[in-house]
Amino acid sequence: MDYLQLGSYTFSSRLILGTGKFSNATVMLEAVRASGAQLVTVALRRFNREQLADDLFSPLRALPGITLMPNTSGASTAAEAVRAAQIARELSGSPFIKVEIHPNPQHLMPDPIETFEACRILAKEGFLVMPYIAADPVLAKRLEEVGCTSVMPLGSAIGSGQGLATAEMLNIIIRESNIPVIVDAGLRSPSEAALAMEMGCGAVLVNSAIAVSDNPPAMAGAFAGAVDAGRKAFKAGLMPKSSFAIATSPLTAFLGAKV
Amino acid sequence: MTNLPDWLTDGRNSATLAAMLDPSSSSSLESLAIESRALTLRRFGRTMTLYAPLYLSNYCSSGCAYCGFASDRKTPRRRLEPDDIRRELTAMKKLGITDILLLTGERTHNADFDYLLRSVDIAAQEMQRVSVEAFPMSIREYRALADSGCTAITIYQETYNRERYEALHRWGPKKDFIERLETPARALEGGIKTAGLGVLLGLSDPGEDALSLYRHVRYLGRTYWRAGLSVSFPRMRPQTGGYEPPFPVDDHSLARIIFAFRIALPDVELVLSTRESAAYRDGMAGLGITRMSIESRTTVGGYHDPENNGKGQFDVFDDRSAHEFCNAMRAKNIEPVFKNWDPAYNGPADVNNTILHPVKPQPCL
Repeated sequence: MDYLQLGSYTFSSRLILGTGKFSNATVMLEAVRASGAQLVTVALRRFNREQLADDLFSPLRALPGITLMPNTSGASTAAEAVRAAQIARELSGSPFIKVEIHPNPQHLMPDPIETFEACRILAKEGFLVMPYIAADPVLAKRLEEVGCTSVMPLGSAIGSGQGLATAEMLNIIIRESNIPVIVDAGLRSPSEAALAMEMGCGAVLVNSAIAVSDNPPAMAGAFAGAVDAGRKAFKAGLMPKSSFAIATSPLTAFLGAKV
Repeated sequence: MTNLPDWLTDGRNSATLAAMLDPSSSSSLESLAIESRALTLRRFGRTMTLYAPLYLSNYCSSGCAYCGFASDRKTPRRRLEPDDIRRELTAMKKLGITDILLLTGERTHNADFDYLLRSVDIAAQEMQRVSVEAFPMSIREYRALADSGCTAITIYQETYNRERYEALHRWGPKKDFIERLETPARALEGGIKTAGLGVLLGLSDPGEDALSLYRHVRYLGRTYWRAGLSVSFPRMRPQTGGYEPPFPVDDHSLARIIFAFRIALPDVELVLSTRESAAYRDGMAGLGITRMSIESRTTVGGYHDPENNGKGQFDVFDDRSAHEFCNAMRAKNIEPVFKNWDPAYNGPADVNNTILHPVKPQPCL
């Protein structure tokens, strides 16, 4: 079997779901089920222990076969992210932490310096650290060196639906990486998810494209199929690209023929 | 008289917004609504973040012509003491509220900085997110508020028309237009994470005020790149004191302003309070607005004791319960979100508020 390995955890699904932006918890849960996802991320700021109707964590925890990956969305510094990670581990019991540090709450671009520092500390503390980063090949290697479980570069700006705008950099990250590369953010259509998988990503994380669709469970199913197809294509080996037509009867076959 | 800053008078970057705000422009209200809805959905999803105001005190030292709490009004004055605040917070928590806005009037000895700081401290122990709408403060005071758990401040310029501003603010500390204008920057300088801006629609030409407000938001975003920014659209409602707004803004004009702001600032939080009717708020949910107040009491002590509350700062138009409001949101396929913050992220927004180790000086060889 072809498993996604993250720390000591193995997953047969390579589609990871984000849980924000849904119109209600029921639709979110249906989308998670329809996606076949086994790993889902939920923001600590959406944990609400005092009012269960407003809580995203408890209904997800009750779903069978799901591993939760809390995230630090809302943190603007390494100190805040480390604090959030510790609280999230306490509340959820999950060793996974998706490190999201965006000092500007409008564009939500990840801070590479604070992210690196938070990951270094959290990896030492035994977390399975999954950092959301810009598609920066050097930062990706630095994070691998400090013990991250995967790197999660953005395909394009979060929520933008601009697809794999960072494809060139993603290719370098994937080629050089010894840990799974998971495209996080920017995907709009299942075909883009398939493309990311064909490029050799270990998984993709999707939220907005599913949550804001008119039919989130159906869209989740569509992404699941695309991720599966893309992964199978990658494993099978895509034929090389060429700018020229390659004839099955080579034009140069006469060269070296006996006269 | 201090000159207006360049960022306020320079119209070069607001031409697109000006075109959208012009009611005679080619962009119809409907086409603006369509674009505004798409951008809101993409960035904020199908959610609405909720908060509630808590009036700490209605003592005031200013003479704002339009305000029910101005110092010449006959309104009985009161402030909440720590035990009153805890009672109010308990009542608010029962309604599901986790995100609150603490309000006072302009600075007086009855409700001064120390009083506000103590109140923030109490609120931060009970609530997930605490914001403040009070008087302008110094950088040092804002820093202390941030340290106590205040993440956001709201400070409306009311109007960016200086002449009208000075006429409307008849006396008191709020009379200084430039001092007011510089306040959000001081708050961000002090480490407050989010500044909420707005104009009181009805006081002056709404199109001009909207453009100035936009320039203010853009200036703060460029200058304080970590700043969270939000924009509110309070529209004059009947006040205690019977002030008639000289530039009334109708439903269509307000909608045009909201849509234009969403298009011009696609990732900024846009806020609509209970000053607006239930139907208007329901209609605007998903079309541009991403944050709304609920269960508002504009009186001091109105949550614990809703019967004995006297006149508020303004009359609440949408007086639905949290439950009714949430049902209306769900019927529109929008999730009401009570908790969208965590105290783990409290503290000043500051590059020095980090655990990055400073580079150790190398010994000289």
